[in-house]
Amino acid sequence: MDPFRQTLDQTLLVVGIAAYVTGALVLLAHFLFRNPLLRAIGIPLAIVGAGSQFAELGTRWWMTGVWPLTNLYGSLSLFSACAVAIFLVFAFKYDLAFIGGPVLALAAIALGYATTWNEGYMPAVPALQSYWIKIHVPIVITAYASFMVAFCVSLIYLVKASAENRYARRGPALRGAAAGAGSANVDLSVGAYATSPAAGVVRNDTPALASAAAAGDTTAQWLDGLPSLARLDVMQYRVIAVGLPLLSLGIITGAMWAKEAWGAYWQWDPKETAALVSWIVYAAYMHLHTRPEWRGTRTAWIAALGFLTIIFCYLGVNIWISGLHSYKM
Amino acid sequence: MEARSGSSSGVARAGAFGGLRDSWDETVRLFANVTFGVSLLAFWGFLTLIGVVIEQGKDAAFYSGAYAPSLARLIVRLDLGNIYHSAAYIGILGLILCSMTAATFTKVIPRRIPRLSPVKIDAIPLHATVRIAGDVESARARIATFFAERGWQVRKREFGGTEWTFADKNNWARRGVLVAHVGFLLIAIGTTIYWAKGYSGQFAVLSGQTATIPENGVKVDLRRFAYRIDPIQTKAGTVYQPIDYVSNATVTGSDGKPQAAEIRVNHPFEVDGTAIYQATYGFAIDFRLTKDGRPAPGPDHPLKEGEGFVIPGTSRAIQYQRFVGTIDRVTGQPAADPRPNDPGVVIQAYDGEQPAGAAMIALGRPVDLGAGYKLDAARYVLYSGFQYRNDPGIPIVGLGAFVLLAGLCISLYFLPARLFVLAREAEGGGTEVGIAATTVKGYDVFQDRFREIVDALRRSERAE
Repeated sequence: MDPFRQTLDQTLLVVGIAAYVTGALVLLAHFLFRNPLLRAIGIPLAIVGAGSQFAELGTRWWMTGVWPLTNLYGSLSLFSACAVAIFLVFAFKYDLAFIGGPVLALAAIALGYATTWNEGYMPAVPALQSYWIKIHVPIVITAYASFMVAFCVSLIYLVKASAENRYARRGPALRGAAAGAGSANVDLSVGAYATSPAAGVVRNDTPALASAAAAGDTTAQWLDGLPSLARLDVMQYRVIAVGLPLLSLGIITGAMWAKEAWGAYWQWDPKETAALVSWIVYAAYMHLHTRPEWRGTRTAWIAALGFLTIIFCYLGVNIWISGLHSYKM
Repeated sequence: MEARSGSSSGVARAGAFGGLRDSWDETVRLFANVTFGVSLLAFWGFLTLIGVVIEQGKDAAFYSGAYAPSLARLIVRLDLGNIYHSAAYIGILGLILCSMTAATFTKVIPRRIPRLSPVKIDAIPLHATVRIAGDVESARARIATFFAERGWQVRKREFGGTEWTFADKNNWARRGVLVAHVGFLLIAIGTTIYWAKGYSGQFAVLSGQTATIPENGVKVDLRRFAYRIDPIQTKAGTVYQPIDYVSNATVTGSDGKPQAAEIRVNHPFEVDGTAIYQATYGFAIDFRLTKDGRPAPGPDHPLKEGEGFVIPGTSRAIQYQRFVGTIDRVTGQPAADPRPNDPGVVIQAYDGEQPAGAAMIALGRPVDLGAGYKLDAARYVLYSGFQYRNDPGIPIVGLGAFVLLAGLCISLYFLPARLFVLAREAEGGGTEVGIAATTVKGYDVFQDRFREIVDALRRSERAE
């Protein structure tokens, strides 16, 4: 095997891990301290990390002629790279940089774990020698990655919502103290986005936090600086809206491949059925998200649960349960 | 008297029908309820998860061995080892289809595009006011052009002498949910067609022999089976990686014409609407039994893994358990290399129903079975394992999958939105334009877009 390409492969892997770890720390610091300089450093690190990982996978393909996603190492590498890439798209399009820390931290963990499955350069088993592997696997992995990003958003939503409840329970004293301090809420530039619980929209949707922040509570000030719950909910919905059609397409392309390889498009294999469970959870999320009374904390919990089912489907089934998808990892 | 009686029975009938209708309406309302539908989805997910965690299609003995006694009893009694074909599972799918149908006919289809009517702009959470130059008439015309140029369907209506402008986008996408539900229904129909008319099965053929698919009479003559396994050096040591399995066969369909077929994994062969797949392979063993040096009646064909024979005149039986490609000459144990370099077989002896011991014997080296019997695993014959499947529902399932995906994309990526625009003369000259927006998914999801629209309108008016 070409030593230059092998060295390049190893170097890109090390660069990827280093960029994720550093980027995660920097963006976590940005998350905590809201320093724009930290964001300006963290985002390029995320770009370098994802870029070097995609390049590493490409180098493996170039080096061996074998599609690099035939084992758990390759798929976890793609998973972390896709998660960071999706985060970057959302960070630029929707100003979502604040979740960069958790996303990069999870990507670094995934990539670190992937290296424990890296056995070297192996040809694919017959079942994986199909053009479908170039279609089905990237689609499914991208879906998983988008659910990971949604999971990070849902965690932040739940933290903020729980803090709001906690501060609300502390009583009206804080609110009174804040009354003269003005609203800490960031308003839209267009019109007054009036409080209207009936419509399911509350512009100032964390009044207790805002009051506590105005009264000088530093934790509340930090939490109040996060995007509103409504905005977090929309972000979470948008990332899941990327993941769900991809997961559906992944299941469909998997079924088409299964028909070619095993004779039936659906075999009730643990991996297929675990993916179906995840699909059901996210389909339920989408249905419930249409209901104003469910939108918010409850759908955030469902999004978090959905990602747990994804982890089970992705790693749990591969590692612990044998089935048609139990290829050499 | 009779008339009165008839009338009262008519009333009673009407009452009975009325009660029936009320119950029907109540049931439809329940099934169309989103929360009820999601509860069914949750139950479906739960049952499916049970099927993932508990290995399916095993017998009671397997569950007794694999789980605690109480759990094993529960699995067997509730038939959790066959959950995907259980009445509960099929029932829940039926209820989901009913729920989707009820929701489709009572909510999705009747949800026509809302009527154009005036609103209280300030009462709608997403609203803005833009002050623009010029009189009201010209402002209305410019606003209409502004929205039309950006792909909005603009309509004007007069209510009580006040002219309103309505701009709609992606109204067609209100049908996305309907499309997705239709896709789900098509998948269910396609699957049912397979259950009703399709068939599948598996068979194994030894090299040089012929097998017949019982359902359609297709003959598969296996001329040659070949495999390739390569030793690969990995960080953990040498791994013997399967690279290829291929069956060269002659397949004869209903037309009686033999066709050469090369069947390998991911490359099935289709004949008479039935696809034949390379599923597995193995080594059948030609066992030869002798007694006191003379041939004794043993198996009359090469045995595949799991098959066995009774030693004549005894209560003992021999089962061929597995093939060992390479026996390590030093340890006498199976080596990692699965290729038949120095092959052997593992056999299990039984005395009646009781296991009497297992042994590994090298090919071509007879072993003593006692009472004058010797067993020789003389040679191996490669066999190929095939699966076959005839599924007339596949085109409908495929169409359903495509429609379901299209419905999801329509629902998620095309947001039907309506803008309400009211232009009025502003105090101090110019025109004050009130704009409000509604969508089918609430207001938060449209907040950024609304801001962009209003900003663009402001910029365009400044440019004017």
